[in-house]
This record gives sequence, structure tokens and C-alpha cells, in this order.
Amino acid sequence: MLVFIAKRARNAVLLLFLASVLCFTLVVSAPGNVAILIAELRTPTATKEDIAKVEEELGLNKPLLERYGFWLQGALKGNLGISYKTGEDVGAALRSRLSVTATLVAGGAVVAFVLSLLVGFIGALWAHRMPDYIMRGIALLGASTPSFFVGALLVYAFSVNWHLLPTFGFSGPASWVLPWLTLGFLPAAVLSRVVRVGFEDAMAKPYVLTARSKGLSQTRILFRDALPNIAPTYLNALGTQIGTMVVGAVVVEPLFAWQGLGDLFLAGVRFRDFMVVQACLLVFITFFVILNVVVDIGITLTDPRLRRQRS
Amino acid sequence: MQSIKAFAKAVAALPRAAVFTIGAFILLGLFAPYITPYDPNAQNLLMAGEGPSLAHWLGADHLGRDTLSRLIAAARTSLVGVCLVLLCAHSIGIVIGTIAGYRRGWTDEVLMRVVDVGQAIPSLIVSLAVIGIFGVSYWNMILALALAWWPSSARISRAVAVNVMNKPHMEALRVLGASPLRIYFVHLFPATLGAVLVYATADAGAVALAIATLSFLGLGIQPPTPEWGQMLVDALPYLEADPRQVILPGLTLTLAVVGFNILGEAVALNRVPKPLGARLVAARRRITASWATETRS
Repeated sequence: MLVFIAKRARNAVLLLFLASVLCFTLVVSAPGNVAILIAELRTPTATKEDIAKVEEELGLNKPLLERYGFWLQGALKGNLGISYKTGEDVGAALRSRLSVTATLVAGGAVVAFVLSLLVGFIGALWAHRMPDYIMRGIALLGASTPSFFVGALLVYAFSVNWHLLPTFGFSGPASWVLPWLTLGFLPAAVLSRVVRVGFEDAMAKPYVLTARSKGLSQTRILFRDALPNIAPTYLNALGTQIGTMVVGAVVVEPLFAWQGLGDLFLAGVRFRDFMVVQACLLVFITFFVILNVVVDIGITLTDPRLRRQRS
Repeated sequence: MQSIKAFAKAVAALPRAAVFTIGAFILLGLFAPYITPYDPNAQNLLMAGEGPSLAHWLGADHLGRDTLSRLIAAARTSLVGVCLVLLCAHSIGIVIGTIAGYRRGWTDEVLMRVVDVGQAIPSLIVSLAVIGIFGVSYWNMILALALAWWPSSARISRAVAVNVMNKPHMEALRVLGASPLRIYFVHLFPATLGAVLVYATADAGAVALAIATLSFLGLGIQPPTPEWGQMLVDALPYLEADPRQVILPGLTLTLAVVGFNILGEAVALNRVPKPLGARLVAARRRITASWATETRS
């Protein structure tokens, strides 16, 4: 088991290294001279000397390899450079916005978890009957509706029409509800299909036939025999969907006017603030790589067959 | 000819709902300029926020532009965008994938590791980063989405190519003395193209959604060009007064994506000729067989 974890961790570090090279090259290969950009930001009538001074200051005149080493060293310490547009510290901006996105995704994950199990169980309990078809339709619709449209519909229904919840921006804990629902909606639809199809597969296995011949009830078979067998697949899918939700936060945050990581990333993209884009990209990729490792270890722990195979 | 035949066969086997929705989307997109009742960009402030009438079936938006015309014109924007993105992404993907599948060995290893890194990062993040570096414009959006989509195309093409290369007729060709170039261009490439085309259509929904999402964020299609995501964000400030202008583009977009998702599910369920390994096909057959006995008993 420890060997397996060590191996996965090594692969993750390798992938992170490749990703850091990618992030670095992306910014280096950007069109336009960064030094001119910054010099003109400081003084609109920048001379050649001003540009040279900026180059010296940021180490832009050094060889590429040295620049990469310098940048990586800083990034590991949480020093991600200074925004080209606003002049603020990118690392500090990231840290101050992290909690918003984390809470958003965590809440969305809870919504997805509860909704998907509910819809999946209804489908499995009434398999190939009306409730199953209705749930399947809802799941298809849920998986096809863009999150920004879901959000707009929720705001219209709950805030504008029924005056139950606040609309955009933050005004108390109730403001979290709609963004959570919006973010969790699509993963819930996808995961409910995973539950439903997982039950379908599990119910065709020989051990279910054995359980049935023992005279166990359908509900008992579903929850005691089939459910543990779906858990690894479900956890795997849940991990993927948490990744999807982090991406979804990029869309949901501007919709609800929240100031999270996604909002920072978008601002960076909009104003071509390379340092912000690069830093956010690095944070996102790090998150995805770590998420993958955690999911892999989680599956191994929940699946006795894999546990034996990998230890 | 081979690829055209495979494609026609696949379309005939598709679920009706998908064929209808996607067909409507393509037809509207193709003939948009001839069937829009009004100029989609013509403003008439006297009409602003007007409800449905005989002259304007779906009303008008906050600038008094005919909503129906804009919805239809948006189908064209979306269709052209999707086609361009898929064309670029699959051009890169098929070439890389077939080379990896044909050569195998270290070429395959290196190319697939690159694809791995590309697939590890979600497509929206990739396209946003590319737009962040090159700036906001129509062609940068196409480039960004193509760069986000080529790895998945390369992976599929490689799987198909490996499958085709393992077929007996490839062995026979080599024995008959066909040159590698002939095998690659005359036999491998067309066969791969046909199978990948099916995937390309199933993927189109995700691309349409990505275009709409980028436009919603203000980083894709720029106003006044009509596009569903952009129409939705445009009408969002007037949600309270005129929710129709938010709901209609959202619904149209959802409908198009539903069509493509039904198609995608059909592809995944093997109702469409799918390049699977023999092992996977056998496993799937077993599941289906055990299933059939269960329902019969």
C-alpha cells in the first residue's frame, strides 16, 4: 500500500514539473514584449532606458533556464510575482480568494452527493418503471443544461419570483444556497447516472442471484450487497466531478458576482495579465493532480480487491 | 467512399430524437440568413422589451431586436464555430493519433505522454489560458478551443488506428508489398477518419457549450454578433423585467446540447459502430447477455 502511494506521489510530482514548464513557456511565448508593457504601464512615454531598467528588475534579460529556476523557486515559496496590471502581489490575491472558491466547491459537492444518491436510488428501486424514466429524463436534462443558465433560472425562480433568497453578491449565509445549487446541479445529474448504471451492472452479478435465492428483499440486496460494489466507481466519478466543479466555479463566480479564484483567473484572462493567468493555471493544475492522487488512494482503500492487488 | 458509407450507416442507427434536434440545428444554421424574419442586428428602440406578437413571434430584446431572428442567427454562429473548432482539433488529433497508432514504439509513447498532459487539464481552463495569452478575438477563441480539444481526438484516433492496424487485411497488404505510405494514406487514414467522424459529431455538443460559455464570460463571440451564451448574458441585467430574453437563448442552447448528449450516449452504449478493443466488446456482450437472462426470468 505504501509503495503504491509512493509511486503515485512520484508520478504526480513528475506531472507537476511538466505542468510548471508548460505554465512558464506559455507566458514566455506570449506575443509582445513584457518589459515594454510594464514600462509603459509605469510611464506612458517610456524610453529605451526605462525598458532596460524593467528588464533588469524582473530578470528578463537572463537566459531562459535561469529565469525558470528563479520563477520555480519563488512559486514553491508561494511568491508568484506581481500583477502586470494592478501591481498587487499575485500570491496574496490568490490566498485571499481561496476560501470563497473552496467553500463554493465544498457546498456544491454536498449538493451533488445528496442529489445524485437520491435520484440514483429512486431509479434503482423502481428500475424500468415510471420513476426510473422520469429520473433518467431529469438527469439527461441536468447534464445538458449550461450552468450559467441553471443559475439564471434559479435566481429567477427563488429570488425574483418567490423572494426567498438573495440574488447576486453576498448578503448573509443564505447567499450561498443558489451558487451551491447551481454548481452541484450538473455533477448531480452525471453522478446519478453513475449510481443508476452501477446498480444495473451489480444486479446482474452472480452474488445477487445468490442473495435472491436466499430470499432477501430487493431493497436489502440493493443496499447491502450492491451498494458497496458501486462505492469505488462512485468515488472515482465524484473526484472527477469535484474537478468539474472547480472549473464550474469559473463560470458561477462571475454569475453571482463572487470574488473567488475563478473571478481572479477571468480578470487575468480579460486584461491579459500574464502573471495572474500563470499563477491561477499553476494552482488549478496542482489541484487537479493532487485530486487525482487522492481519488486513486481513496478507491484503493474502498475496494478490497484493489487493496490486495496493490499492497 | 469507405468513410462516407460508415458515416451514413452510423446516422441511420442513431436515436430519432438526436437526429431531429441535431438536424434542426444544422438546417437552421445553414439557412439562417434566408429564414430570419428580420435583420438580427436591426435595433428598434420603440420595440424594446416588447412581448410576443404576430409580427415578432418571440418578442424583442432590450434594444428592440427581433428575438426569433437572433436565435436563428445564433444557430449559424454556433454551427460555424463548432465546425471550425472540430476541423482544427481533429486535423491535429487524427494526424498525431494515426502516426502514434501506425508507428507504435517510442513515437507512440512520447506522443501519448503529451496527450496525457493535455487531457489532465480541463478544456475550459486550457482555452481560458490560451485566450489570456493571445487576447480576446474570434480566431483566438477557435484556436483556444482547438488546442483544448485535440488531445481527446488524438487518443480516439490512436485507438481506432491500432485497431485497424491489427486487422488481417493490413497483414495481407504488407505481405503483398504495399509501401508504408500507401498503407498509411490509402488504408489506415480513411478507415480512421470514418470512425472518428462519429465521435466528432458526438463531441460537437460539448464544443457548442464551450463556445456559449466563453461568450457568456465575454471572452468568445463579441456583441453584436448573436450567440446564445452572449444573448443570455446580455439580457441578464433585465432578468426581473424581461426573463423571456434570458430563458429563450438558454432553452435553445440546452435543446441543442440535449440532442448531442443523446447522440453521445448512443455512441457510448455501442449502438453506433464503435472502435473498441476485442476485450471490451466481449465484456460488454457478457453484461448485455446476463442482463437479457435477468429480464427474461
